[in-house]
Amino acid sequence: MRVIVDGAKCQGNARCWAQDAEMFDLNDEGYLPTQVIDVPDDPDKQLKARRGVRACPERALTLEE
Amino acid sequence: MQATAAVRPSHVPPELVGGFNLMDDPSMLPQPLGDPHTAIARLLDGPPVFYSLNMTRNGEGAWIVVRAEDQRRVLQDGVTFSSNRNIFSSALGETWPLIPLEIDPPEHGKWRSLLNPLLSPRRVVNLEPIVRQRAIDLIEGIKAKGTSCEAMSEFAFPFAVSIFLQFLGIGHERLHEFVGWANDLLHGTPAQRTEAAKIVVAYLDDLQALRRREPADDFMTFVTQAEVDGRRMTEHEVKSMSVLLFIAGLDTVAAAIGFDLLYLAQHQAAQEQLRTEPGRILLAAEEMLRAFPTVTPIRRATRDVEVAGVLIKAGDLIACPSMTANRDPAEFPNPDKIDFAREDNRHVAFAYGPHRCLGSHLARREVVIGLEEWLGRIPTFRFKEGHLPTVYGGFVFGVEDLVLAWD
Repeated sequence: MRVIVDGAKCQGNARCWAQDAEMFDLNDEGYLPTQVIDVPDDPDKQLKARRGVRACPERALTLEE
Repeated sequence: MQATAAVRPSHVPPELVGGFNLMDDPSMLPQPLGDPHTAIARLLDGPPVFYSLNMTRNGEGAWIVVRAEDQRRVLQDGVTFSSNRNIFSSALGETWPLIPLEIDPPEHGKWRSLLNPLLSPRRVVNLEPIVRQRAIDLIEGIKAKGTSCEAMSEFAFPFAVSIFLQFLGIGHERLHEFVGWANDLLHGTPAQRTEAAKIVVAYLDDLQALRRREPADDFMTFVTQAEVDGRRMTEHEVKSMSVLLFIAGLDTVAAAIGFDLLYLAQHQAAQEQLRTEPGRILLAAEEMLRAFPTVTPIRRATRDVEVAGVLIKAGDLIACPSMTANRDPAEFPNPDKIDFAREDNRHVAFAYGPHRCLGSHLARREVVIGLEEWLGRIPTFRFKEGHLPTVYGGFVFGVEDLVLAWD
């Protein structure tokens, strides 16, 4: 499972971070730069990843199963 | 004061002119136990975009974009939909933008990047002990006086203002004076607004001058020394930024707390749930931000553009009331139900796009901590017998005379 981050769309809402601050590691401005996040093979982390992706008001995150 | 009846612009089809406007629709006026959120949500039954005459203080009309997805498109495109409106300065008879609120991309980014670290989610954590102590001091003061209070003037406003003063590095000895200026600025007559604007600007000019002479570890010193485009900010730019940060976190945060206490006073079971399971307060606060947002961002089209099949012309104003988007059934299942456990809560109380509220993370912590301490220290509360709070809509929704009582 991976989360594709489109940094250009990120506006620092931090709703993903509110689900999992470690997985969605914001920069000093509180934003997520463009990147691919590899989600660990762990049910809790995968749940948080799904929720984090759905939580983004800007639709900046895409889930790849 | 109303301008003479606004005229429908020729490019606006008559069938798209709607009867609602934020300023003087009856549902927007102060009413005992009014419910402007439910009233404005009725717009979701109508067309996705319609034209409202007399939407602004100077009688200008505006398109109202009702639905979440359309609002997101407007708010995410800061170039097509400009924020350059110079509202505060117009109260002084001047024309300059609040920075970064009234600056458009691409210039907007560098100002915003300067301020983002100061109010990032992690940085806000450092302010939490002070936020909590302020809440405790105010609430314990209320308890010491008896078993009732007016929650806006005794808790919500002073709480919000004192946190902002703390952030700006301004002492809170003159707290009530600041609250008074904010009140006049945001709720006063045109003459009161002008007077309050002058006082606020004069105060911040003095503070800027002081911090240029005697730097300290605070916001004002930071902005006087910060560099943008490889140079320090001008006095005017510092003034503009500090005025914005002064006014931004006052009405809005106080109203959020006010609407939360208003709701809880009427729903004692919900109150008890949060009191016995304070871990639920985080999501409950988020749901109440969805249900009771207060702000309507307004933009001006910089070119002809189509939104939801409607042709908007360059120069037209567009309003995006957060209250309608936040109850859009296409975005939120069961939108009229206040569900403290709601997930996927992509509400727009803090707007979307480049102007997404800079203070949103601090605001969230203020609301959550305010509720934690209130529920932890004040027993089951209700409206005081014979006192109904006043609720109003308009450009910033709010609550007044929230007289609560407990045993």
